[in-house]
Amino acid sequence: MSLLITETNLRSLVDALVKGATLVVGPKHSGSVVLYQPLAAGSDLTLDELPRRSAKELYFPVCEDILTFKRENGKLEVRDIDRSRFPETVLIGAPPCDAGSPSILDAVFSWDYNDEFFLERRRKSTIVGIACTKGDDACFCTAVGLAPDAKAGSDLFLTPLLGGSFRCEPVTEKGQALIDKHAGLFSEGAAGEPVAFADQSTGKLDLPKIKEWLNGHFEDPLWESIADICVGCAACAFICPACHCFDINDEGNPDNGTRRKHWDACGFSKFTNHASGHNPRDIQNKRYRNRIMHKFKYYDDKFGKTLCTGCGRCIRACPVGIDIAEILDTINKKAQQG
Amino acid sequence: MNAKAEKIRVASIDPSYYQAVTDAIRTEAVKLLSEEAVVAVVGYLPGRRIGTAVPGLVTTPEQAQQLIFSPACVNNLSLYLTKAKKGVLKKGKVAIIAKGCDLRALAGLMGESQVKKEDIYTIGIACAGVFGANSDRKGGLTEASIARKCRECTVHQPEGVDLLVGTLPELPQLTALEAQELARLEALTPEERWAYWKEQFSKCIRCLACRQVCPFCYCEQCLCDKNRPQALESSPRPAGNTAWHIVRAMHLAGRCGGCAECERVCPMDIPLNLLNRRMAMELKELYDYEASMVPQEKGPLTRYQEDDDQSFIK
Repeated sequence: MSLLITETNLRSLVDALVKGATLVVGPKHSGSVVLYQPLAAGSDLTLDELPRRSAKELYFPVCEDILTFKRENGKLEVRDIDRSRFPETVLIGAPPCDAGSPSILDAVFSWDYNDEFFLERRRKSTIVGIACTKGDDACFCTAVGLAPDAKAGSDLFLTPLLGGSFRCEPVTEKGQALIDKHAGLFSEGAAGEPVAFADQSTGKLDLPKIKEWLNGHFEDPLWESIADICVGCAACAFICPACHCFDINDEGNPDNGTRRKHWDACGFSKFTNHASGHNPRDIQNKRYRNRIMHKFKYYDDKFGKTLCTGCGRCIRACPVGIDIAEILDTINKKAQQG
Repeated sequence: MNAKAEKIRVASIDPSYYQAVTDAIRTEAVKLLSEEAVVAVVGYLPGRRIGTAVPGLVTTPEQAQQLIFSPACVNNLSLYLTKAKKGVLKKGKVAIIAKGCDLRALAGLMGESQVKKEDIYTIGIACAGVFGANSDRKGGLTEASIARKCRECTVHQPEGVDLLVGTLPELPQLTALEAQELARLEALTPEERWAYWKEQFSKCIRCLACRQVCPFCYCEQCLCDKNRPQALESSPRPAGNTAWHIVRAMHLAGRCGGCAECERVCPMDIPLNLLNRRMAMELKELYDYEASMVPQEKGPLTRYQEDDDQSFIK
């Protein structure tokens, strides 16, 4: 016997949560794209397309205010953002490549400094992941240790079944609590056949070996050969579920303004430009090297995790078709040869 | 016109047309590199995924054997000749594969003294069209998958190139969707049009892919990167986004060659080429200027003539 929920009841769950003042975020059509957006009702939820941007923005928005300042009677008054007002949130309909990323990012946002903007949102959110049945030839989650039915990062995990229902598996206490609170929408029954999971076009990678190769090849002709064509935009980093660099800018005027945190990317030439004018990453392939190093070496060095979920977004979006799955495969082969 | 009648029958073009272009490119590239007539050929190489190609900076005759031309060859490669990409190509003469729309950018860059004609060898492609962004590429080039810019292309046949490859297959007449959309926006009230663009700009995440692929965005210090003081808000919010896209459109007026790369690469599907085209209309009306495949020494906004309209000076 398994715990099941029909599609109708899944949408009713969204309705019930919204009615209960919970912010429900899920894939929703917006013009020509699907994005993770607040759902006004269960009918807004779309499960047939991977959103163009990842779900990281739920915790790490494109742009957010982190304080405001105002000069009054000659005195500068600084106001913090009241984070207690961040709402209870349920992220629903995230495939493993998106559901899996926030828990990877917890490590860096609670490392040498607790980023309460990220962490407060994490504490207040429940992630309802869903097995992926819609992959394409850019997908490579299996190659980086996830899978179309990986539960990592989900609090509650749904598996689409033939006939339209979902098998529900609580993964954490938060997930169980969500089920308990809305028990009437779930039922016990025999789970039928699951819908076929998404195919993966790439083989499994030996990530420890890749890291070992990266340890010894900071300088290597590979970087020029793969990344001289890189144009230096941030499309890959911004739509990535795991890239988490940000810039901070004071905007407004010296007497009245806001300090804002917004996405930044190692692909930009300005990213490592020193005040002196010296830039240690003076050419583009060094910047792209950092992208690979950060994801498959540095993050592992520091936190024991890989900073990539294999969603394939960067492959689909790269203006010049740089294919990280192909690059990893190349490194994997080099690593096997020693 | 119904969709069926409009469908580009790939079967009649492919494989002979694309194969012929590919073969001609390879033969010429191998020859140029073997004879050391050029240090590199900037062309297209096949991508791993079906229906994809990637820019290739080819420096050996062996690599040159891999060069291709297909509807997936979307990039405007002239970008790699600009100072924004300095250092990726060795010093010396470079051969470049260019479609008509790419040639207009090359001509513009020559006009702006960024590229010297004697430093490049242009291999022009008689181009039937390329894929649009996010199109389904499995069925080849069809009415559904062709880029919007190609539907009303006026430069299928390159001019002024060192070598022309390909014989243009018969091309069907396609409805000018972009011109229709431009006309639709023109018919709106200013308030409605403003609302349309506000919504479009609100989608921007400031990844700057539009800037980075533009052959004309070679400024060493972009206005939108200035932060002491900020010239415009760098955070992806409505004010800064709007300022950025207006600055971008204005700065490209009279320079843009219409390759529409900015629009193709936008991950948020902002129809940026509508702005470029609107600017082009303005330039046509004011200065009778159009981007062309032939270099012009000075663009309309960098040239002074005594009979220029000065009525705006009050």
